[in-house]
Amino acid sequence: MSIVLLAARVDLEHVLIVGAVLFAIGLYVALSKRNAVAVLMGIELMLNAVNLTFIAFARFVESPRPLDGHVFVIFVITVAAAEAAVALALAVAVYRHRETIDVGKISLLRW
Amino acid sequence: MQVLLDNYVAVLLAGVIGFILVGSALIGSRLLAPYSSSRQKETSYECGMVPAAAPIRSQIHIRYYLFAILFLIFDVEAVFLFPWAVTFLSVGKAAFYEMVLFIAVLGGGLAYAWKKGVLQWK
Amino acid sequence: MSNELNLDYTLLTPEFCLAGLAAIVLGIDLFAPQVRKEWLPYITAAGLIGILGLSLGWVEKESDFAGIIAVDNYTTFFRVFFLATAAVVVLMSAQFVRDRLKNPGEYYALLVVSTIGAIYMAASRELLTAYISLEVLSFSLYVLVSFARMDPRSNEGGLKYMLLGAFASALLLYGLSFIYGSAGSTFYSDIAAAYAGGTESFDLALLMGLVLLLAGLGFKVAAVPFHMWTPDAYEGAPLPITAYLSATSKIAGFALLLRLFSSAFMPVIDDWQWMFAALAALTMVLGNLVALQQSNIKRLLAYSSIGQVGYMLMAIAALSSGTASALLLHMSGYVVTNLAAFSCIIAWYNLTDKEEIADMRGMAERAPLLAAALTAALFSLSGMPLFAGFFTKFILFQAVADEGFLWLAVIAVVMSFVSLYYYLMVIKELYISKPEEEGRLQVPLSVTGLTAALAAGVFYVGIFPRHLFEVAQEATNLLFV
Repeated sequence: MSIVLLAARVDLEHVLIVGAVLFAIGLYVALSKRNAVAVLMGIELMLNAVNLTFIAFARFVESPRPLDGHVFVIFVITVAAAEAAVALALAVAVYRHRETIDVGKISLLRW
Repeated sequence: MQVLLDNYVAVLLAGVIGFILVGSALIGSRLLAPYSSSRQKETSYECGMVPAAAPIRSQIHIRYYLFAILFLIFDVEAVFLFPWAVTFLSVGKAAFYEMVLFIAVLGGGLAYAWKKGVLQWK
Repeated sequence: MSNELNLDYTLLTPEFCLAGLAAIVLGIDLFAPQVRKEWLPYITAAGLIGILGLSLGWVEKESDFAGIIAVDNYTTFFRVFFLATAAVVVLMSAQFVRDRLKNPGEYYALLVVSTIGAIYMAASRELLTAYISLEVLSFSLYVLVSFARMDPRSNEGGLKYMLLGAFASALLLYGLSFIYGSAGSTFYSDIAAAYAGGTESFDLALLMGLVLLLAGLGFKVAAVPFHMWTPDAYEGAPLPITAYLSATSKIAGFALLLRLFSSAFMPVIDDWQWMFAALAALTMVLGNLVALQQSNIKRLLAYSSIGQVGYMLMAIAALSSGTASALLLHMSGYVVTNLAAFSCIIAWYNLTDKEEIADMRGMAERAPLLAAALTAALFSLSGMPLFAGFFTKFILFQAVADEGFLWLAVIAVVMSFVSLYYYLMVIKELYISKPEEEGRLQVPLSVTGLTAALAAGVFYVGIFPRHLFEVAQEATNLLFV
């Protein structure tokens, strides 16, 4: 177990890679799941990856306005919450009619 | 940063040693102890009683969803209050009135839902 | 820095008034239930027109609020544009909402709120503000599309629109984060300054940011290959909302694109020009070809509007002051035309409950005025001379060709001829086919008036395009300084 490795600084690239992996997982979930709520969870994961990326850039990049990234994140968090609220309301409405929220089976309209 | 990370080496070592100890104990008992299985043994342990028959995954009624959403909205609203509280003094009076307006809008939304009878448990 | 901010709240008066109007509409709905059924749409429309008059006070002024919201001719143009569109859609909705929808107060209030979002999309000079405005518009639309709660198609269209829209904003945001990382700021002017000297070498963050940004905004304006939600949302939505989607939502996306790319990304035009050109070509071809085989009038207009998006994307690809003003002119003509078409379709639907193209047969005998107005609108969409579509398309295609994109302009012309075919199929049903039932239909006077006014607008833009073109030039000349 090398102590040198542990002591290495966390750099911009590391955070960005974590963000990219998180985004990719979210993307995969959003595209592969059939359940509307699971799709929504994937999207929320993507938004969190975005937040991480913004914070990383705000922390590491020289900028005349270093706080902008943080402010962006605060707004993204609230928008994500509002998004969850609206999407769940719609999912409930669809479920009342169709007894399912499987996006593959909701097919009155051709996709 | 360097000092901070160095201090965590001890935590990491403790964690690794702990995992090795527990893991070797479990694997060792599995290898050494006699092992036989029966249907009775497989059931989950509930103070010696036979487990309840009802489905374990109980569903929450859909009506609670509305309260979850209301909670979510007012919970996330707090995200704006923290940075506001930090910069409150440097921005001055305008900040106070802006936040009053912001909360009034949210409160107005709640009052609207109330008057519409959405909050009634029917 | 914070001491020099211009916090002049009076610049935002029209939007404050809009928020107030939304609150008033909700209040009337809540406390005066007798008033709301008959008068609510007219009160809303009157309020919108009043605010439109108010916003004319900023013509030829140039200022900004804290550097994030510009109030210049461009903003004023779109203020007037979106307020007028909203007023027309509100009037079109009056009968439809009374007969078919519950909660009229929320319906009109959401329309008003979405207008605020649309205006700020055109006005913002900073990425966060632009994004929030986009979401204000989108969220209102998600709810409005699924507003017919008893109609499963509406719920379904709404859910699909919402999920894909949220997905698109996640892509858009990821793109914005890379642009922020690459340029170090979210202000359009700072971004332009950061790239002013040209990027030293291959800037991967910028390129990725641009690709993701384009994908996200491509969803919002329904460009191929990001158009999957359009037909479903259009078909599921209540009819007036379909009209609103095809007008405000689309144009607001372009208003945002135009200001963003002209004032932030002009220095790196080589990096994104080809993306827009490819997207434009793909969108024009696919939108128009798929439209050929539609049987529902809403889906037909959905695909035809995707084709129109292709024409508009050409202008962004060949971005210059010439194409920008041509784009504004074309968008105005397109919106007037589309609203005219929808006002006929809504009137027909109110009278007969039918929205398949085959069910429109014999409209010329049963409601000659509606049929005539619809015909004018469809001819204009396909770009026949004398109607709005001809001149706006002509000027747009010419401006695009002048910028060196002759091949795009050629595709656009060919596709216009293709589109003529499916518009003619509708017109054939209106005039040649025999009606299923006999007898004239009684079109209400207010509907006749609105339809006639919109049809007159189609001819006005078609015959005197110069007036509007000059306004469009005034509106865009500050973008390219």
